[in-house]
Amino acid sequence: MGEAYIAVKGIFDNLGIKSIIAPFTTEDTLRLGSRESPECVCLPFKITLGNYIKSIEAGADTIVITGSCGPCRFGYYGPLQKQILQDMGYDVDFIIIDPPKENPLDFLHNIKKLSNGKTSKAIKSIYDAYKVCIEIDKLNEIQYYVRPRTKNKSIINNIMYNFKREVLDAHGTKEIIEVIKATGNKLLSIPIDKNTKPLKIGIIGEIYTIIEPFSNLNVEERLGNMGAEIHRSMTIKHWAENNLIMPATGRKGYKMEKRLSNPYIPVLIGGHTQQCIGHAINYANLNYDGLVQIYPMTCMPEIVSRTILSQIEKDYNIPILYLIVDEQVGEAGYQTRLEAFVDYLRERKYNHKLSEKF
Amino acid sequence: MKRIGIPRGLYYYKYYPFAKIFLTELGAEVVLSPETNKEILDIGSKYCIDDACLPVKVYHGHVYFLKDKVDYVLIPRFTSISAKEYICPKFGGLPEMVRYSIPMNSPIIDIEINLYKNKFNLYKSLFSLGNMLGANPIQIKKAINKAFKTHYVYKKDLLNGNLPAVLIENKKPVKIKTKSIVGIVSHPYLLYDSFINMNLLKKLSGRCIKYITPEMIDSQIIDNLCNELEKRIFWSSSKELIGSALYMMNINRIEGILLLTSFACGIDSLSLELIIRIANKIYNKPIMMLTLDEHTGEANFNTRLEAFMDLVERRQNLDNNLSPYGRGIYCSERNIR
Repeated sequence: MGEAYIAVKGIFDNLGIKSIIAPFTTEDTLRLGSRESPECVCLPFKITLGNYIKSIEAGADTIVITGSCGPCRFGYYGPLQKQILQDMGYDVDFIIIDPPKENPLDFLHNIKKLSNGKTSKAIKSIYDAYKVCIEIDKLNEIQYYVRPRTKNKSIINNIMYNFKREVLDAHGTKEIIEVIKATGNKLLSIPIDKNTKPLKIGIIGEIYTIIEPFSNLNVEERLGNMGAEIHRSMTIKHWAENNLIMPATGRKGYKMEKRLSNPYIPVLIGGHTQQCIGHAINYANLNYDGLVQIYPMTCMPEIVSRTILSQIEKDYNIPILYLIVDEQVGEAGYQTRLEAFVDYLRERKYNHKLSEKF
Repeated sequence: MKRIGIPRGLYYYKYYPFAKIFLTELGAEVVLSPETNKEILDIGSKYCIDDACLPVKVYHGHVYFLKDKVDYVLIPRFTSISAKEYICPKFGGLPEMVRYSIPMNSPIIDIEINLYKNKFNLYKSLFSLGNMLGANPIQIKKAINKAFKTHYVYKKDLLNGNLPAVLIENKKPVKIKTKSIVGIVSHPYLLYDSFINMNLLKKLSGRCIKYITPEMIDSQIIDNLCNELEKRIFWSSSKELIGSALYMMNINRIEGILLLTSFACGIDSLSLELIIRIANKIYNKPIMMLTLDEHTGEANFNTRLEAFMDLVERRQNLDNNLSPYGRGIYCSERNIR
């Protein structure tokens, strides 16, 4: 899931467990996954199943997956994927980590099982991994800033490609943080044109599809290359802060999002509907030029958000592009829609400026 | 007297008697949208966003029919209907989905039904609805009690094998000579809406096939069967389906199972897959999944259904009813894992 693998790799490195990072998601992974998945299930299910198969073939013997008991389908991924893998004839150990409030004893037991009995060390390495997430976010923000402002986009691609390779060679959170910082410095040394005023586009939607670049066909890179400075509403760090750190210290997460989305959807209905609406309003208040909502086909919470977003479009006067992804998405159609959207935003901004002048 | 419209869709088949008694006791007039027809479906799919599932689209059509004809439209927000369980997120966001899709003048009553933590929330919502209708707390309490009573009677009638069409709309029950029994695993809003499922129940009765629906199975049995699964199921609707499918697999008299789902149903995509995977291992009788959406043609629906019914009948004709040596090939094992 996006850059989460870096943090998770850090945890296992610190604990001294050999982890196999699934090879980067490709068309083949998705094909493997969707062949065995139910027809109407959402894209993340298919991609993760494909990833499991790939990593089992690479030699993994235990699969670790988090679970939940919320209304979102994600909570039942684990049991069904386990069943599917068994039916396919793979013999692997499945560890499903449910949130502690569901069954605290099970949670501790799983952590203990994972960390070979070193529970306190496990908790410390989770905190270290959180630090990694902070650094990843900083790196991404540098990338978002630099990409629209530089002439030679291929240098950035090159640096990021090398980063993905180097980070896999690094061992433990300390080394990983060093690699990330070095990459950030490399990005900052690229010559940029500070006078350009790029379009600002916020990316909202379902958390998996906006974080995993394969599932959204590298939307960040595409928009950046078209000259738009983007911002992604949800990141791993953001998720960890609101779901792990704040509840652990007795605070409630997602305060800003809940406050902003309250007039539109007052209760939690599952998934990230409130967060999606909250971020959309937040971006509109920050004078962003446009928003892109990405979600997998048949995603239940995001279907609700989408109906509400059509109202926000009118209320806050901000254009929103809706992109629905599944295994049948065509790259060309996607690119055309993004280009049209960026052209529209640019024209809109220009006209707006003109009308202000006169 | 206030006129309150109730759309004939989604959980209408589960909670209409409750809502009707509660509202009429408090002096409101209940207006029901007509049975689903082509027009309602077309309007629903026009106004609803395109990737919602069929029942939600039909629901939009019913609301469209009611708008401006009534003072209020009752669209409760079903967050949870039993403790520690949710329903589909679309049920939770239903008032919003309708409000921002259909332009209408009649206000929506969007009381929240949330039994996730305790029953107190339900009473709170019902009292706020009663207050809105101008009733005093004693009247409301009386109405609630009466409504609950009706609801339990209704539930019991369903359990005894009556259909909502018979109980709510006073239609004549169809009496048939039963040749065989099949189980149908589906949500009430697909199963009892004869337009959406293209008269499935009538077609089965026409071939002298009796059916058992999830509503006819005791919830205690469903709970027990679901507890045998590895992880507790946290959707009420899904639990009903999985539990009743497991029950049907264990009853020898049931000759086959029909799974009915709508395209893009989020919860069914997982729960029906789980049922089919379990059935592949332990169940030796016909099992078929039918998917419905607004483009489904009746001809191919019929063909598949007929093939299923033929299969059920033929197996029965070929069955010689002699006890085989060892284990019968048609009996199922009682180990679902």
